[in-house]
Amino acid sequence: MPSSTHHVVLGNGIAGNHAADVIRKRDPNSRITIISAGALLFYNRYDLPDVFRGRHQWVDYLVHPPEYYESQNITLRRKTRVVELDPQTQTLSLAHRETLHYDKLLIATGGHAYIPARLLDDVGLMHSFHNFRVAMQVQNAVRKNGTVIMLGGDVMGLDLARTIIATGHRVIVALDNRTFWPHEIAQSERARYLQALESMGLDIWDHGKVDHIEAGNSKGPARQVFFEDGSEIRGDVVMPFFGLVPTVDFLATSGIDMERGILVSPQLQTARDNIWAAGDVCQIWSATSNAYRFYYGYRNVKMMGEVAAYNMTGEQSAFESTVDEALEVTSKGLLHSPFWEYD
Amino acid sequence: MIPEQPVYLEDKVDEIRQSGRLAYRSTALPTWCPGCGYYSMTEGLVNALTELRIKGEDTVIVSGIGCASRFPFFMDTYGFHTLHGRALPVATGVKVANDKLTVVAVGGDGDGFAIGCGHIPHAARRNVNITYLLFDNGIYGLTKGQVSPTSATGFITPTSPFQNRDAPLNPLLMLLSYGASWVGQAYAGWPHHLTQLIRQALEHPGFSYLHVLSPCVTFDKTDRTYQNLDLAVRELDADHDSSDMAAAMRAAADTNTPTLGLYYAEKRETLGQALDLIAARAAGAQRIKRATTRHRQRKTPA
Amino acid sequence: MAKQTDIQISICGSAGDGTIAVGDIFKRAMARAGYRVIAFDHYPAEIRGFGKCISRTRISTNQVYSMKSYSDVLVSLNDLHAIPHVGEVRDYGAIIYDSAPMSAVAEGAHISGHLMPGHLPYALPIRELSELATGANRSRNIVALGFIAGLYQLPQQAFHQAIAAKFETKAPAVADTALAAFDSGFKSGSSTYKFDDVQIDHSRARKNGGEVRMMTGNGAIAHGCLEAGIETFFGYPITPATGIMERLAVEMPRRGGRLVQTEDEIAAISATIGAGYAGARAATATSGPGLALMAEMLGLGVMAEVPAVVFVSQRGGPSTGMPTKTEQSDLNLAVWGGHGDARRIVLAPTNVEGCRRCAARAFEMAEKFQVPVIVLIDLYLSNRYETVFLQGEDNFLPKNWQRVDSGAPGDNYRRYELTADGLSPRCVPGEAGGIYTATGLEHDEYGHPNDSPDVHSLMSEKRHEKLRDAMKYPGINFTKRFGDKGKIDVGLLAWGSTFGEALEAVLLAREEGIRCAAMKVVMMSPLPARPILRFCNDCQQVLVPELNYTGQFANLVSGELGRPVTRVSHATGAPMDINYLLTAIRNAAKQKLRNKTTTSNPTKA
Repeated sequence: MPSSTHHVVLGNGIAGNHAADVIRKRDPNSRITIISAGALLFYNRYDLPDVFRGRHQWVDYLVHPPEYYESQNITLRRKTRVVELDPQTQTLSLAHRETLHYDKLLIATGGHAYIPARLLDDVGLMHSFHNFRVAMQVQNAVRKNGTVIMLGGDVMGLDLARTIIATGHRVIVALDNRTFWPHEIAQSERARYLQALESMGLDIWDHGKVDHIEAGNSKGPARQVFFEDGSEIRGDVVMPFFGLVPTVDFLATSGIDMERGILVSPQLQTARDNIWAAGDVCQIWSATSNAYRFYYGYRNVKMMGEVAAYNMTGEQSAFESTVDEALEVTSKGLLHSPFWEYD
Repeated sequence: MIPEQPVYLEDKVDEIRQSGRLAYRSTALPTWCPGCGYYSMTEGLVNALTELRIKGEDTVIVSGIGCASRFPFFMDTYGFHTLHGRALPVATGVKVANDKLTVVAVGGDGDGFAIGCGHIPHAARRNVNITYLLFDNGIYGLTKGQVSPTSATGFITPTSPFQNRDAPLNPLLMLLSYGASWVGQAYAGWPHHLTQLIRQALEHPGFSYLHVLSPCVTFDKTDRTYQNLDLAVRELDADHDSSDMAAAMRAAADTNTPTLGLYYAEKRETLGQALDLIAARAAGAQRIKRATTRHRQRKTPA
Repeated sequence: MAKQTDIQISICGSAGDGTIAVGDIFKRAMARAGYRVIAFDHYPAEIRGFGKCISRTRISTNQVYSMKSYSDVLVSLNDLHAIPHVGEVRDYGAIIYDSAPMSAVAEGAHISGHLMPGHLPYALPIRELSELATGANRSRNIVALGFIAGLYQLPQQAFHQAIAAKFETKAPAVADTALAAFDSGFKSGSSTYKFDDVQIDHSRARKNGGEVRMMTGNGAIAHGCLEAGIETFFGYPITPATGIMERLAVEMPRRGGRLVQTEDEIAAISATIGAGYAGARAATATSGPGLALMAEMLGLGVMAEVPAVVFVSQRGGPSTGMPTKTEQSDLNLAVWGGHGDARRIVLAPTNVEGCRRCAARAFEMAEKFQVPVIVLIDLYLSNRYETVFLQGEDNFLPKNWQRVDSGAPGDNYRRYELTADGLSPRCVPGEAGGIYTATGLEHDEYGHPNDSPDVHSLMSEKRHEKLRDAMKYPGINFTKRFGDKGKIDVGLLAWGSTFGEALEAVLLAREEGIRCAAMKVVMMSPLPARPILRFCNDCQQVLVPELNYTGQFANLVSGELGRPVTRVSHATGAPMDINYLLTAIRNAAKQKLRNKTTTSNPTKA
C-alpha cells in the first residue's frame, strides 16, 4: 500500500479515533486526517456527567494529550464542517470553502439528539448534553438541589440522571415511547422497568406528550413544561433524551445509500468505493436479522472503528457484535445498560 | 589700480585707528602669504562690518578648511573653524539657532565647489540669511598647489602634471540656477569695490553669495595672476538689471572677461522667516485641532 | 487566586487588512484599561503590495521588558501570512480565524488545517460579521478585535474610547462604522465559550492614576526631546530613525522649535553642531549609515567641545544591509567612530521609558560635559510600543551652560581653560566678552591653534577626563542588576533592546533553579567599568547577548575590564530569541558544573 495514501476520518468520536489509531499502526507512513466539528481534541463523552462532580476542566476529559497527535502524525482538523462529499472525485467540500482530497474515507460522524417535530419550536429552551461546552452549561443552569426535567429518557439520559441524583439534585423523567431508547421494552415489562427507575431515585412523570415549554419567572425554576393533558412541571433545565439520529445531512448529494443511517456491508463498506462508515452513523447488514441495523454502545462502536480500519488497510473482516444489548434490571432492582460500560 | 596720490604709512595707520576697524581684528597675525587676496577680503569684511555697525559679538564667521579656514582667527568676532566643505551647513545651524546673529561663511573654491558642493544648492534654495564669501583662486593653496574644480583646463599642477583635463565649473551660473537670492562677483585686486559688495551682501536679507576672484600668488605664477586678472576683469554694464535672471546668466556665462558687480538680487522668504511661519501655522493648527476634537467628542458614543 | 496578567496577542494579516491599525487600537485600549503594554509590529519591507504585517502586543500587570518568546493568541486576517506563525502560539492558546473566506481556497491554504493539537480554534465568520455590521468587508480587523475583547471580557468602554480617538480626525461615519464592527465582534466573542486558558486578571488592572501614554521608542525620544526643551533639530530621513524627525516636525514648531530637513546626514550633524555652538539645544537622528557619515563632524564636536545630541537607531548592516530589520552592530561606530581620540558620551536605553529619559538627559549631559552625546537604540526599540507612565514626571533641567565671568576682556577669555574637572566656561555668540573661535585644530586654552606637545597632551587629557563625572550624572541608572543577588552561576551582561530578552531568559532560568542575574548597561561610553566588574566578579560565567555577529559589546567590556566574557551573538535581524538565550544560560550553568568537577577531581583530567 502506498505510504502517501490519505486516510480521512470524518468524526472525532470513539469510532473515528480508534480507527485512526489502528490505521496508523497498520500503515505507519500514510497521511491521516481526522475532521471534527468541535473545538477540542478527542475526549471522553461518557465521562461528561462528571461536570456535576466538579470536574470542570476540559483537559481532564482528554483521551490523548496533544503530543499524541504529533507522535502519531495524525492531523486533527477542528471546527471543520463537511458540507459535501463527491465520491467521484474523492473530494470533501469544507464549509470554509476548502476542498480536501481523500484516498480512503471513513464516515464516523455519529449521531445527534433526536428532537420530535412538535418540540422544535422550543429548542432554545432546552439543554442538550452532547459536548463539554453544553454539559457545562447544564451544570451551571442547575441550581443547588435543583431539578432537571428529562423528556423521553434514553439510556444516555438515564446514565446522566444517575450522576445528577447522586450529586444531590432531582431528576424528573417525562415518559415517552422513546424512554429507554435504544432498548425496546415490551409493554408487559414496562412497569418493572419504571419501578427500577424509581428505585434509582428518578421521579416519573407520566402525563403523555409535551405541549410546550416556557421560561419561568426570575424567582423560581427557569423552565416550565406544559403537557397536552394540561399538567405542568417546573425545573432548572429541560433536556431532550429521545435517542439519536445519524448525522448524515452532508451526504445528501453523495449518492451513498442511506436509510436512516448509512447502509454498509458487514465489512462496513458503503456502496461507494473507498468509503467506509462506522459508529452510530451506520446501519450494518445483518444476515441474521435480514436487515440493516444499528449497533450502539462504546464497545460496538469501538469495534466498528477497528474493523473499518482493518478493511481500509487491505483486510476484509466482518463486524460482529459481541455485546449483549439487553437492558437489565439488576438483583438490587436497579437498571443496568451495557452501553454504560466502557474502558 | 594705481592710486593717483602717494600714500604715507603714518597717515594710513592713523586713518585705520580712527575708523574703528581694528575692533574687528584680533591680535593674531594672519598667516597668509604676502600679497594674498584674503587680506583684501579681511579688509573688506572689516570695513563692511564697521560701516554697518554690526558688533563683533553678534557676528559669527564660519570657515571650512583651506587657506580661508583661519579667517575667523584674525577677526575679533565669534568664529567657528569647522571641517573641510562643511562651512555652509554649520553656518545654517548657527543661524537657525539664533536669527539675530550675522553669520558669514568663508571658504575657497576647493572647500565650496569640490568637497562641499552638495551643500551650496540647499543653502541657496532655503535662502538661509547668511553671507557666503567664496574666495576663488582656482587652486588648492593650503596643500601646496593642486588642481581645483575651478582650475582652467590645461592647468599644470602637482596632481595634474600632464595638464588638467577637466572643465572648470561656473560657480556664478550654478548659484543663479540654485536660486541664490543674491549673487555677486568681486575681485581681490579691487578692494574698495570688494568692500562695497560685501556690505551689500551683508545687508541682503537672504542667502548672499559673493564670488571673489583672486590669484594664488605662491602657487600660480602663470594663469590667475594679478596681472592677468587686472586685464581680464571689468565691471558689469551700468544698465545691468539685477532683477533680470536671464541677463545675470548671460553675464555669468561669459568666462573670458569676468564681470564684477551685483548679478542678481531678489527678496523672498528666508529660512528664518519660513521657520517662524511654520511655528505660527503649527500654533494655529493646534487651535484648529482642538476645535475638531471637541466636535468629535460630542459625536462619540459613550 | 487571580493570576497576574501576562499575555501576548499576535494579529497577522496582509498589508491593507488594517492589521497594524487594529493592533494599535488594541494596545491603546489596553493601556487605557490600565495594563502595561509592550508591542512590536512587523511590517513588510515593501511599501506597496500584499506583504505580511504582524502586530504583536504583550499586556501585563507588572512591568516587563521584552516581548514573550511565544504568543497566547493569534488572529489571522490573512491565512497565507498567518500559517507560518501558527507555531508561535503556545499549547492551550487561541487561534482566531475567518471561517467564511470570500473565495474558495486550495487544499492546505486555510489556517484550520495547520493548527497544532494544543491550539484552541475559534472559527469566526469575520467577513460576514463585518458585512452585516457595516455593509462592507473592510472592517474585518475591527470585528476580530471586538471578538478578542468579548472573548476575554476586556473593558468595552476602553475600546470604544480608543476607536473614537483613532478615527478622531476622520469623518464621524468612519468611527461609527468601526464601533458597529467592534460591537458585532464583541457580541460574538462574549457569547463564545472560552476553551483556551488565556487568563486576564481584571481586578489587577490599574484603575485611575497618572497619565499613561502609549509610545514607541522613537516617540519616547521625541517626547524626551520636547520635555528637555529642544530648540533645533536637523535630520535626514533614514529607516528606522525617521519617526523621531516626523514626530518632532509636528511638535517642535508648536513650541517655537525649529526643524530643518537637511540635504544629507553630514549637513544634519554639521547644522546640529553649528546650532549647539550657537547655544541652542540641538539634535539630529539617524541610523548606522548616517552615523558613518557623521563621524568626522562628531570629532569636531569633541575637539571644539560643542554640545549636541545624536539619536541613532541601528538596523541590519553593513552597508544598506537590512533597513527594516533590527541589529546592534553600530556600537563600535557610536563609541569609537571617527578619527583621533574622540571620546564622547554614548547612552543606550533598554526600553521605551528609558528612551524618553535618556533623550532628555542627553541634552543636559551634552551641555554639562560640552560634548556630543549619542543615544543609541535599534529598530526593535524604535518601533516597539510600550506604556509610559508619566506620573511623578522627571524634571529635566532647563538650558544652563557655564558662563564666563562677566566683564572678562575679549582676548583674555579662556574658552578651553584647564580646570580641576576639565569643564571650561562656555560662551555663545551674542554674548559680549566671550568672543572666541572654536576650531577643529588642536588649540590652547584660548582656542588658538597650537600643536605643541604639551598642549596636545594636556588638552587630550582634558577632553577625556572631563567625562569621568558623566558616569555619576543623576537621573539615569547607568547600570542595574536584576535577578539573584550575591554569587551566581550565570550572569548576563546586556545592553539596549536586548536587555529585555536577557531579563526574560534569566527569569525563566531561575524558575529552572539556575542561579543567575542580568545586568543592564545603559552607558556605553565612558563605560562604567567598576559596577560591571563587580557584577562579573559575582558570576561564574558572564554571557553577553547582543544582536550582532562580532560581539561588539563583549569586545568593549572585555577590552576595558581585561576579563573574558562569553559572546552570545545573534545576528538574524530579529530581536533576541529568548529560547536561544535560555539554552545558552543552561549550557553555561552546566559548564560551571563541569568546571567544578574538574577542579575537585584533578586526576580525571
